Amino acid sequence: MTGFYWLASYPKSGNTWLRLALRSLRHGGSAVDFSNEDSWIPNGAAREPFDQTLDVESSDLTAVETEILRPRFYEFLAKTGDEPILRKIHDAYVPTAAGEPLFPPAVTSGVVYIVRDPRDVAVSFAHHRRSSIDNTIGVMQNPAAAMAYRAGDLAEQLRQRLLTWSGHVESWLDAPHLRRLVLRYEDMLASPFDSLARTASFLGWEADPAAVAGAVEATRFQRLKAEESRHGFRENPVGEGAFFRRGVANGWRDTLSCEQVRRIERDHGRVMRRLGYSLTSANECAAEALLAQPYEPIDARSS
Amino acid sequence: MNDSPVPDSLLAGWRVRCEFPLPELLPWSGDDRAADLLIRTGEVPERLDGVVSDGPLLQVARDGSCRFAIQDVAAYFISPRGDEVIVAPASGPVSTSVRLFLLGSVFGILCHKRGLLPLHASCVAVEGRAIAFAGPSGAGKSTLAGAFVKAGYRLLTDDVTVVDVTAPGGPVVVPAFPRLKLWRLAMGALGLERENIETPRVEAEKYDVPVENAFATERVPLTAVYHLQRAKGAKPESMNRLTAGRAVRDTTEAIYRVRAGRNLVGQQALFRSISRLCSTVPCHLLTQKMDFERLDTRVAGLVARHASG
Repeated sequence: MTGFYWLASYPKSGNTWLRLALRSLRHGGSAVDFSNEDSWIPNGAAREPFDQTLDVESSDLTAVETEILRPRFYEFLAKTGDEPILRKIHDAYVPTAAGEPLFPPAVTSGVVYIVRDPRDVAVSFAHHRRSSIDNTIGVMQNPAAAMAYRAGDLAEQLRQRLLTWSGHVESWLDAPHLRRLVLRYEDMLASPFDSLARTASFLGWEADPAAVAGAVEATRFQRLKAEESRHGFRENPVGEGAFFRRGVANGWRDTLSCEQVRRIERDHGRVMRRLGYSLTSANECAAEALLAQPYEPIDARSS
Repeated sequence: MNDSPVPDSLLAGWRVRCEFPLPELLPWSGDDRAADLLIRTGEVPERLDGVVSDGPLLQVARDGSCRFAIQDVAAYFISPRGDEVIVAPASGPVSTSVRLFLLGSVFGILCHKRGLLPLHASCVAVEGRAIAFAGPSGAGKSTLAGAFVKAGYRLLTDDVTVVDVTAPGGPVVVPAFPRLKLWRLAMGALGLERENIETPRVEAEKYDVPVENAFATERVPLTAVYHLQRAKGAKPESMNRLTAGRAVRDTTEAIYRVRAGRNLVGQQALFRSISRLCSTVPCHLLTQKMDFERLDTRVAGLVARHASG
């Protein structure tokens, strides 16, 4: 009998980064190697282990039937396992159609919830989805948004309901009976050592400070980017463009239009404030937009 | 209960006597032996006595009997020797959904019980040689098998490849039944019409395509197993012969209903079957992009490898 630690987040919020840091830490702070194909902290919604464990093809089940069975899947793994199980997840903490939590509290040892400024999520998620920022902002405020659904084809993962960005955050933050560690992406960037050490301690790992420092160094963004350019990154959705793109906080300031910022802040302002993300003032955005305009000498055209 | 009994049918070489029609199977045309497998509707208990493996959907009892159930579809009881199946539909008569799991998980369990090795693979025949494409759901097994059928080759089985590893002369594939499970986009890529084709689960866009005319009914020696893998990231398409150890590992992972198999025939016996298979049949890793393009080229390439021997 054992329990799960869930690394939960909305997509593009730093989950993969934390997983790679934990992997390095597990190996004493060793270098990250993308040519190594072992899966590490796999997605809790991966299709194959579900099928193998339940003796069924989930491709023969409806999305609702599959979701109803997921708590049974996790309970079975907990019942038959002997080591704590780490899984990455993007699902919101939703009830299944049978009215129980998708992730049973009884087999949950803890949740590391990673959250990122939704203005940065919008930019990163748009790249990840190969879609426009406006479309992605729409997804982030759609309560029916789900990952791994493909019309007319089978996705590699089980369907994962996201809710809105705000709905996702609050579903995890307000879920009763869960032991939680909430990490902000921005804090992970600003103080990676502290974030990783706290995570390790939350997971019950004995983490030697030298190993934590090694893992922080090994997963500096530029290193991950360089490693991706050498070997590619197998979790990259379509294998084009880079998975590790910028890895900064506040990158939205030179990317989003005022209107896009306003939309996100209108949709998610309340939850953003709750997490300490300050909203832009009306003047601030207009001023920044002006400053972002390329400077053009007034007499350039006449020459 | 029925005035005109349902004719017997053929499943993996067995003579099947079923109380209700099984339109997915071919009629029995073999000798006048007694039925190998009886299938009827009836009561299925909630709990088996002496459960030794208690999975979310499958119970295995000490005497080898099994209970498999899908909520709101049906419960299935499989007798210890795998010679009888009792089906209890959740409501109404036997539907396509009820038959889907009968010919899926329950069929896999029957194979384990009856000394056959079921692999999660689709299989085609090229000039009297069976080639299997193994991999998890979504790896492209059925699409590739469909492309072979389109190119005029015969289908031995889709989704579950039944191997008799003890056959004299080496492992042979026992044809299962003449259906291809294809998703809507794959059907489009293969140029198949969707009119009058059933989707067993109402919500899913997964079609159950009958292929009676392209079905091989005789046992065919297994010549190669290709483990399918999606080409991801910067990974190029490739084909590599697997080393002995890797072949055993990957083929073990490809065992259909492996958890049931471990409980029913034991880890040791499964390992012996896999070892025997891998010692005579070459296994390859086939890494391909999932883009439905170049299917014809892929078929031609594989045929060239195997037709020449």
